[in-house]
Amino acid sequence: MFNKTLLVIEVSLSLVNNTQASILAGNFAKCSDSNLAGHWRRRKKMIFKIEDVTVYFPYDNIYPEQYEYMVELKRALDAKGHCLLEMPTGTGKTIALLSLITSYRLSRPDSPIKLVYCTRTVHEMEKTLGELKILHDYQLTHLGAQAKILALGLSSRKNLCVNSKVLAAENRDSVDAACRKRTASWVRALAAENPNVQLCDYFESYEKAADNALLPPGVYTLEDLRAFGKNRGWCPYFLARHMVQFANVIVYSYQYLLDPKVAGIISKELQKESVIVFDEAHNIDNVCIEALSVSVRRVTLEGANRNLNKIRQEIDRFKATDAGRLRAEYNRLIEGLALRGDLSGTDQWLANPALPNDILKEAVPGNIRRAEHFVHVLRRLLQYLGGRLDTENVEKESPVSFVSSLNSQAGIEQKTLKFCYDRLHSLMMTLEITDTDEFLPIQTVCDFATLVGTYARGFSIIIEPYDERMPHIPDPILQLSCHDASLAIKPVFDRFQSVVITSGTLSPIDLYPRLLSFNPVVSRSFKMSMTRDCICPMVLTRGSDQLPVSTKFDMRSDPGVVRNYGKLLVEMVSVVPDGVVCFFVSYSYMDGIIATWNETGILKEITQQKLVFFETQDVVETTLALDNYRRACDCGRGAVFFSVARGKVAEGIDFDRHYGRLVVMFGVPFQYTLSKILLARLEYLRDTFQIKEGDFLTFDALRQAAQCVGRVIRSKADYGMMIFADKRYSRHDKRSKLPGWILSHLRDAHLNLSTDMAIHIAREFLRKMAQPYDKTGTMGRKTLLTQEDLEKMAETGVQDMVY
Amino acid sequence: AKALAKCEEEPNKPAAVLTSAEQLSIADLELRFKVLRENSELQRLHKEFVETKVLTEDEFWATRKKLLGKDSIRKSKQQVGLKSMMVSGIKPSTDGRVYYIILSTPSWKLSFPVKCSCRKEIMHTISSLAQLTNRVTFNLTSEIIFQIFAEKPAVRQAFINYVPSKMTEKDFWTKYFRAEYLYSTKNTAVAAAEAAEDEELAVFLKPDEILAQEARQKDHGIQRDGTMDVVEPQNGQFRRSLLQDLNRHAAVVLEGRNIDVDSEDTRSVAEALARVKQVSKADGETTKDANQERLARMSRVAEMEDLQAPQNFPLAPLSIKDPRDYFESQQGNVVNESRGAGTLKRNVHEAYGSLKESILEIRTKGLSDPLIKPEVAFEVFRSLTQTISTAKNIIGKNPRESFLDRLPKSTRDEVLHHWTSIQELLKHFWSSYPITTTYLHTKAGKLKDAMSNSYSLLEAMKESVQSELRHQLSLLVRPMQQALDAAFQHYDADLQRRTAKSARGSAGEANGSV
Repeated sequence: MFNKTLLVIEVSLSLVNNTQASILAGNFAKCSDSNLAGHWRRRKKMIFKIEDVTVYFPYDNIYPEQYEYMVELKRALDAKGHCLLEMPTGTGKTIALLSLITSYRLSRPDSPIKLVYCTRTVHEMEKTLGELKILHDYQLTHLGAQAKILALGLSSRKNLCVNSKVLAAENRDSVDAACRKRTASWVRALAAENPNVQLCDYFESYEKAADNALLPPGVYTLEDLRAFGKNRGWCPYFLARHMVQFANVIVYSYQYLLDPKVAGIISKELQKESVIVFDEAHNIDNVCIEALSVSVRRVTLEGANRNLNKIRQEIDRFKATDAGRLRAEYNRLIEGLALRGDLSGTDQWLANPALPNDILKEAVPGNIRRAEHFVHVLRRLLQYLGGRLDTENVEKESPVSFVSSLNSQAGIEQKTLKFCYDRLHSLMMTLEITDTDEFLPIQTVCDFATLVGTYARGFSIIIEPYDERMPHIPDPILQLSCHDASLAIKPVFDRFQSVVITSGTLSPIDLYPRLLSFNPVVSRSFKMSMTRDCICPMVLTRGSDQLPVSTKFDMRSDPGVVRNYGKLLVEMVSVVPDGVVCFFVSYSYMDGIIATWNETGILKEITQQKLVFFETQDVVETTLALDNYRRACDCGRGAVFFSVARGKVAEGIDFDRHYGRLVVMFGVPFQYTLSKILLARLEYLRDTFQIKEGDFLTFDALRQAAQCVGRVIRSKADYGMMIFADKRYSRHDKRSKLPGWILSHLRDAHLNLSTDMAIHIAREFLRKMAQPYDKTGTMGRKTLLTQEDLEKMAETGVQDMVY
Repeated sequence: AKALAKCEEEPNKPAAVLTSAEQLSIADLELRFKVLRENSELQRLHKEFVETKVLTEDEFWATRKKLLGKDSIRKSKQQVGLKSMMVSGIKPSTDGRVYYIILSTPSWKLSFPVKCSCRKEIMHTISSLAQLTNRVTFNLTSEIIFQIFAEKPAVRQAFINYVPSKMTEKDFWTKYFRAEYLYSTKNTAVAAAEAAEDEELAVFLKPDEILAQEARQKDHGIQRDGTMDVVEPQNGQFRRSLLQDLNRHAAVVLEGRNIDVDSEDTRSVAEALARVKQVSKADGETTKDANQERLARMSRVAEMEDLQAPQNFPLAPLSIKDPRDYFESQQGNVVNESRGAGTLKRNVHEAYGSLKESILEIRTKGLSDPLIKPEVAFEVFRSLTQTISTAKNIIGKNPRESFLDRLPKSTRDEVLHHWTSIQELLKHFWSSYPITTTYLHTKAGKLKDAMSNSYSLLEAMKESVQSELRHQLSLLVRPMQQALDAAFQHYDADLQRRTAKSARGSAGEANGSV
């Protein structure tokens, strides 16, 4: 495996001299896969003009909506503004986007833009870089050296580390800590005197190479980076982080821009002339909110107390041995936090979550400048929080009143709170603490303090003595929950020239600008031009016995509903070939219904036709199940995958082609409406943005449902059925919130089906779809455009050709 | 020596083989025997024609090269997959009776009463159970044992460790099912209490450590980047989730029976499974392969499918034992939707018409892509399947029973056998034309004789059958006789033509004497 990737790297290194050869080699490798249809593989690929930009597109044909998407995107780039684009899955959004932006860059050589592409999962990151590779290879063959770019993926240490000793650590945080233990500046200084201190060879040789440690141009996936690092003996993580400022394209996770703790380190050097893309962004408001929300439990406080004890000991030790160090820190703090620039790159492991700029310039308040004073303040804070957790009732408070009662009862001022996070950071640095994951509890508390001290609006503090769903188990929790998604994303909108928010489901498209409070210059929803009706959405409202089905609270555990849901699946698995995917509204509902199906024998009937796999809350287990599911589909055995809306699978895994011929959404995936946090957020949305509670809940549930069923299709050659199994989907107010590309295929006759009718439709649909067909489109509708078509379009106008 | 041994197993064959002019390697011979052994129909044909010297050994095999190809050597035996259903589910019942569990295997039997829990829940097994008053028999077959061991490596390891040094196999399974029962009651407190007293029982109740370790090694994929995603340890040590069990079960089924032990001996099954695991671990195979597969998948998804040739997935080949049975069962679906007979007839004509049209088009315009328009292909296939299924229904009246099924079994087998042997003869007969050598000439003659023989057998069969079936039977037999008649006609016409030709030319050649 490693040999292979090394080869890839060498090929991309030699691109400068011999691009043609490597492309040929690439094509040869592909052809040898399948000689059967060699003529499909021979590629002409496209070059066409959109106004003044020459676009390079690495395929023979282009979908009309891809072309339109590029046109709109170009308008947004020209206007240097933000845009919001909804385009159905399966229409090649990513390649259209990459192709236009890289071509745009090539057409403006004097003011090159940088592309920052944000994905939600590592899997999507690798997929995007894979597509970029194809594109880049193609641009190189046409333009030669001037098309060279540096593109790389950036991820956590866990995904990039190549040091086997560090990797032996079990989770992400211990990989981080194990790395810091070997790379922190004071550890390295210590190692200079004491040969027994372990260092990381990869990091050492990366440091030794200094400014010469550079990545040659090319497109690097995480795997490529690891291979390159191993080959050169340089640490891929630090190399990648260093290269971020030189790269033309960066692909990384949302958090690197939205979570201020991370963004402060990774993304602070990005220039204004960058295009930021948030792909699959239908949940972006939730990511923003999560980034600014903190919860504190009893264990957090206990841990934080232990952390303080440890810090106290360290302070005493330093006082005895190196008092000068503490004094130097004190002096630095008087001058303000912005001046701590003398710290080396590896030491900047956390930065301030507070957004206002003044915090960096102001001097740290006097009462926490001295280390031991700061520890005292934190002790008082912990004590106060502990007292608040003792409550027997649910309490809800605004940050303003929380801060004022904190001031009166514990004597901690708002300004002091605001500085907590940075003060802790500075102290830990001074004390040379590397076991950062051990200090997570105290960091969480300081994070909380800084946020509550910084924001007066858009947040609430909710204290619950127990989980609503399990009232007999006391589990007090104090949550600082953010309700305003625009807070976290505001700096991104302010700082960068163009921000592109795109997804397969952004309906209703006018809601997102309100939720995120920005003004897009372009906001469009594209239809899908279909070669044939390759998706078949259905609304199933009742079982074969005519009893209604729904996951409405009063109906969901009704034996009739559970049975009818089961029967639906039993019948479907006997008709649908290969893969079937099911989504439930929650883990607990899935657990319950599967247990019942197991007892009543329905599960046994299902397994007579197909193997069954489940998503669980354990990520590793789920990954394994998913892997096996795909293998079962590949080998022809067929399988059913049971999953949960809002779960990890629903967020980022495609069930295209034979991996999903049918997806069933059991119920409407509403959020848990009794949740105090949700209620507080709804109230905030109503008061601030005039968004009605019911509207928001329906919008949120339907975007999740659309997201689940949208997994089934990834190209127009693909086909699949979608069943919305709940009587509530037949109501217009619910259904109309689905994205247009699904609605346009939802026929009136399919709005109120029973199981037997659905089976009949499924049989007909599958038989029809399994036939060969003409891919370029029939009946006067062009669904696949060639270069000639585009040239003609440039003369006659887009609309005539496309529809 | 091995080949000879095989020959003795097949006492009918050797004479015919030895006459073969060509020198065959021993491997080839072995392969032919093997194919014959596995295919009784072929064996019967071979016996009928090769041994009676109607066909030579080489002629017989010449049309079946594919059966002897490389693929057939590799895929000699179709691996029988495991059942998708979970076999070892045990759950409490609520009828309040005391049950005795009887575990039985080929070598031993044991029975033990199930203690009532406080909720008076008595267990019974989901599958393979026969309830007699208060007894539940659970057949512990070797397949079930295999599945338990494969799904629960810790149980397998416990078996290797404890049996027979610490306990007997009977005791082992008693403990195992006791643990399963405790688990099924969902009463974790009782389970924990019993596990505290009995360390072997505890092994069965605890989450599987070996599994957890394997899973950890394969960790990659869908976790979100950047957020904290530490897997929380399971709260109750004695709780397993049904979903995890199901996932594990499906994984084992997918893996198939990956050990080469046919033995009924439980210990050797356990040891073989342990070996398989060790080997794959030593190679680092599991993680490496998985990783490679993941990379391959990644490059597949990066490209857009519309412009690519279809992917070749590692499909498990399906060999259908009785094709006739299989395809007839498939027709059930079509029958339900068949329209009236009138429209059907029209459809057949329409389909035929459009097929003819597209063939004409190919003649004038040459090949195009797609070769045949999808709509045409669809229509043709649809009307063909419908014709087959309706024909069957009209004759058989009852959709589940065709006329063939109403014949006495012996007659039915005879009809089917005649059908295949006539096919065989016709195939060889027609391939002998045009006759260019004496060899082909004698071959055609021999075949003609054999066919006349078949013809009279068909006549005899028609006579022998009961009168009420005779009409239907003759309908069935008619196409065969028509095919034979056509062959006879051709034979005679060709003979006449050639006699005339040789009479005109210089006489005295060998072929003139015929």
